[in-house]
Amino acid sequence: MRLLVNGEDREVDVEDDMPLLWVLRDELGLKGTKYGCGIAQCGACTVQMDGVAVRSCQVPAATAEGADVVTIEGLGAPDALHAVQAAWVEHQVAQCGYCQSGQIMQAVSLLDTNPEPTDDDIDIVMGGNLCRCGTYPRIRAAVKTAATKLQEA
Amino acid sequence: MLGRIAVILAVTLGSPAHAEGENVTIDAPAAGSISREEGMEAWLRIYEVASHPRCSNCHVGSDNTPMWSGPSYGRARPHGMNVNAGDSRIGAEYVQCSTCHAYREGVNDMPHAAPQVAMNWQLAPVEAEWFGKSSVDICNQLRDPERNGGRDFNEIASHLDHDLILHWAWNPGGGREPAPFSLQEHVNDVLAWGVAGYPCENDE
Repeated sequence: MRLLVNGEDREVDVEDDMPLLWVLRDELGLKGTKYGCGIAQCGACTVQMDGVAVRSCQVPAATAEGADVVTIEGLGAPDALHAVQAAWVEHQVAQCGYCQSGQIMQAVSLLDTNPEPTDDDIDIVMGGNLCRCGTYPRIRAAVKTAATKLQEA
Repeated sequence: MLGRIAVILAVTLGSPAHAEGENVTIDAPAAGSISREEGMEAWLRIYEVASHPRCSNCHVGSDNTPMWSGPSYGRARPHGMNVNAGDSRIGAEYVQCSTCHAYREGVNDMPHAAPQVAMNWQLAPVEAEWFGKSSVDICNQLRDPERNGGRDFNEIASHLDHDLILHWAWNPGGGREPAPFSLQEHVNDVLAWGVAGYPCENDE
């Protein structure tokens, strides 16, 4: 089947029900998206599909066919970070970093939907993305910084 | 933000239900052939279904928070992950239900994973709030066109036929307890209850 991943057409030979996360990591070698729980309870595998955050461990490959999939690798480049990635660096959000690509992809989706989120909005939207290091206060601060920068842009 | 939600809603509401799932026959009994007593018996079975966690967990009120309850949960609690489906009832304002409850054709075989069907996951409309409500309360709601989507008994049965989230309730997979009876038996009970004049326990 053909998938559009980070703007590139990719051909993969996989079963229809292979989770998108497996396709991204094992078939396409995009290791930035992480496996956490495999059952949609942690958010580590969050990517965007047609602009909406999804847990890639839950999306069958057949469902992703024809959709515009964006992973952390496609969000920004090292010399041209997305505003959310830049805010993550500015606030030094990551500790161990394992959950952070999922956190960032969810935060981008949050700001696409709600450019000026309140603390409650952030808590509701980011509540499905777990961080075992407890970086939540820095995540909230970085989301607010990114929101401001995106408003100014 | 509102424009984006409107687009998402339009896509959701405009999506045709797919034909997968159990086939249902809608064949109402002849007018006058079901007594009030038989209709009341049918209602009590309907209530067993409506109050079952597979159905009631998503028939929640204006806080837009689905519930986790049933044999596998121990105690009833709000859906984890701070989930709030918003006034859109599909999570458009926050995290869409479909972020985890993705589109899937086929069975749900993984325990503890988010159940999925071949349509967008969503809460029932707020008018259909009945989590924790009594038989008499739900009975009066379901026969009230103002709160049942303007449906008569044939249209309620047709809704049961077309909404694949409702089909899922009888085939939830992943070790979840299915709703009681079968979808066809439930449809038959709805038809019998309607033909009997929608009796409820508070009727004279």
